[in-house]
Amino acid sequence: MSGRGQVEFKDIVKLHGEFAALKGVNFEIKPGEFFALLGPSGSGKSTTLRILAGLDAPTGGRVYIDGKDVTSVDARDRDIAMVFQSYALYPHMTVAENIAFPLEMSDLPKSEIEPAVKEAARKVKIDHLLDRKPGQLSGGQQQRCALARAIVRKARLFLLDEPLSNLDAKLRLETRAELKKLQRSLGVTAVYVTHDQEEAMTLADRMAVFMAGEIQQVGTPAEVFAKPNSIDIAGFIGNPPMNLVPARYANGSVVIAGHALTTTVQFAGERDVIAGIRPGALRFAIDGLKAKVDLIEDLGDTAVLDVDCAGTPMRVRVNHDDLPREGDTITLTARPQDIHLFDPETRKRL
Amino acid sequence: MNAKRIRFLALLAISLVFLFAWAFPVFWSVLNSLKTDRDALAYPPKLFFSPTLEAYRDVLFGSGSILPNLISSMIISVGTTIVTMLMAVPAAYALARLRFRAKKFAGFYVLATQMLPPVGIIIPYFLVLRNIGWIDTYQGIILIYLSFSLPFAIWLLVSYFEDIPFEMEEAAYLDGASRMRTLWRIIIPQVRGGIAVTVVFVFLNAWNEFLFAVVLSGNTVRPVTVAMFNFVSVEQTLWAKLAAVSVLAMLPVVVLGVVAQKHIVKGLTVGAVKGGGRR
Repeated sequence: MSGRGQVEFKDIVKLHGEFAALKGVNFEIKPGEFFALLGPSGSGKSTTLRILAGLDAPTGGRVYIDGKDVTSVDARDRDIAMVFQSYALYPHMTVAENIAFPLEMSDLPKSEIEPAVKEAARKVKIDHLLDRKPGQLSGGQQQRCALARAIVRKARLFLLDEPLSNLDAKLRLETRAELKKLQRSLGVTAVYVTHDQEEAMTLADRMAVFMAGEIQQVGTPAEVFAKPNSIDIAGFIGNPPMNLVPARYANGSVVIAGHALTTTVQFAGERDVIAGIRPGALRFAIDGLKAKVDLIEDLGDTAVLDVDCAGTPMRVRVNHDDLPREGDTITLTARPQDIHLFDPETRKRL
Repeated sequence: MNAKRIRFLALLAISLVFLFAWAFPVFWSVLNSLKTDRDALAYPPKLFFSPTLEAYRDVLFGSGSILPNLISSMIISVGTTIVTMLMAVPAAYALARLRFRAKKFAGFYVLATQMLPPVGIIIPYFLVLRNIGWIDTYQGIILIYLSFSLPFAIWLLVSYFEDIPFEMEEAAYLDGASRMRTLWRIIIPQVRGGIAVTVVFVFLNAWNEFLFAVVLSGNTVRPVTVAMFNFVSVEQTLWAKLAAVSVLAMLPVVVLGVVAQKHIVKGLTVGAVKGGGRR
């Protein structure tokens, strides 16, 4: 199966009347990759997936799958399987009939359909539910049925549109891990749409972060987390999100709320910047930023402090062992490599 | 608790009143159809009499048998229903799904035909049918019935199609199904209830129709609603026979209602609660 499912988007534009849902999107997905399209709602990630599936036509640009231009190829001729957010199971058919449907449509003989259906159902652990109707299944089982219907055909691309969003929190975590294992064992290229950055971080080999109809960054989750290339991504990735505070840069150090912190970023001159520090990168120090603890959110093993740094609100993640009390004044610092600088005008990384 | 009980009794009383109002003519017809003509005319009406099937024997196998008329009615109703459904299902699907320029107007005009008083168009219809030589023919009556049943059926079916999430169809396309196959395998089975309801209504309307039938039919094609009047003349009304014909005319309707009951109840609720269908 390797070598199948390579995707390339070239300058894809999608207009809905005056509104530009996609403003020129470019990216490439390698065969066998688990690729996430991440972004807030309305950022264009679902539109991108629909264009890839062939359910929507782009206003401009080309889509290539395995090197072939498929921009005007019909959805059903693209050899793509998809799991919808609503699962879109056929309610009048049994689980077995649902899974068999794509094979029937490709006119496979019955003798081959049955074992394939059983095999797919076994992989997602619903082989004991084959005679049920979707209405008789729990949410998690319905989701598995939708997965089985998608994997049974061994399509070259496997699209998932927020497949976990209808599950409860516990089931979501379990299914997330299983989904990753399933994708690895099948070796299939998967494209995964989500607004949940944690899902994208844990599942994806690489991801594209969408903001307002544009891709702002493509990279591995670790890269995007370590080096977000815009203020928007910095504020979107990570939980709690990165502290973004106005600061003044001069000669390798930034002044935040009256206190200078050293950074690894080097450029000539002096200027206003937005400094970004992750809540987990802030640590207690003898000398540093003075901050008053407003609120403590205790998470058990860690805690998140809402602090006030001379009028600038910030959040700090600390170990449960060294909790201050609400109202205490603490002193904070961060390592030079943990301080990100952004241009307040262009909002890009410096 | 007491208030609940009173409420229940009040509802029961109201229901009984309505039930009586509805059931009394049926009851009267059944009763009279089992009487002799003489008993039927008795005053005060006889509740106790020796029942006889004489009236039925007469209207079915006597000289003025209405059997051909029942068959006529059946051909007209079944024909109207089949042709209506063959056209209404794809039309309703298209109205529910496709985006085209005149969609709003198309929807309105479909409904507008339901607002015309039938009496106003009966003469033009008569003239048209006469000009093409279709008076007193099955195709003529069915064609005229279509002009009412088709818009009605489309209007009824559209909401059922709209209730099916569009993602379902997209899933089918991605699974490799063509549009026709999607309609046939995925969509139609899910609007079965709606189709059953529509079939019943279209059939009933055609079966019960009188006004057009009386003008546009003749000696060859004479549905039972028209033929029934053979038993009403200037000199006398043959009540027992008239009642027997009424009961016979009711039978197919009752049978259809019972057969389709499950679908109708389910269908009516799904159609009524918009978006309340299965997701």
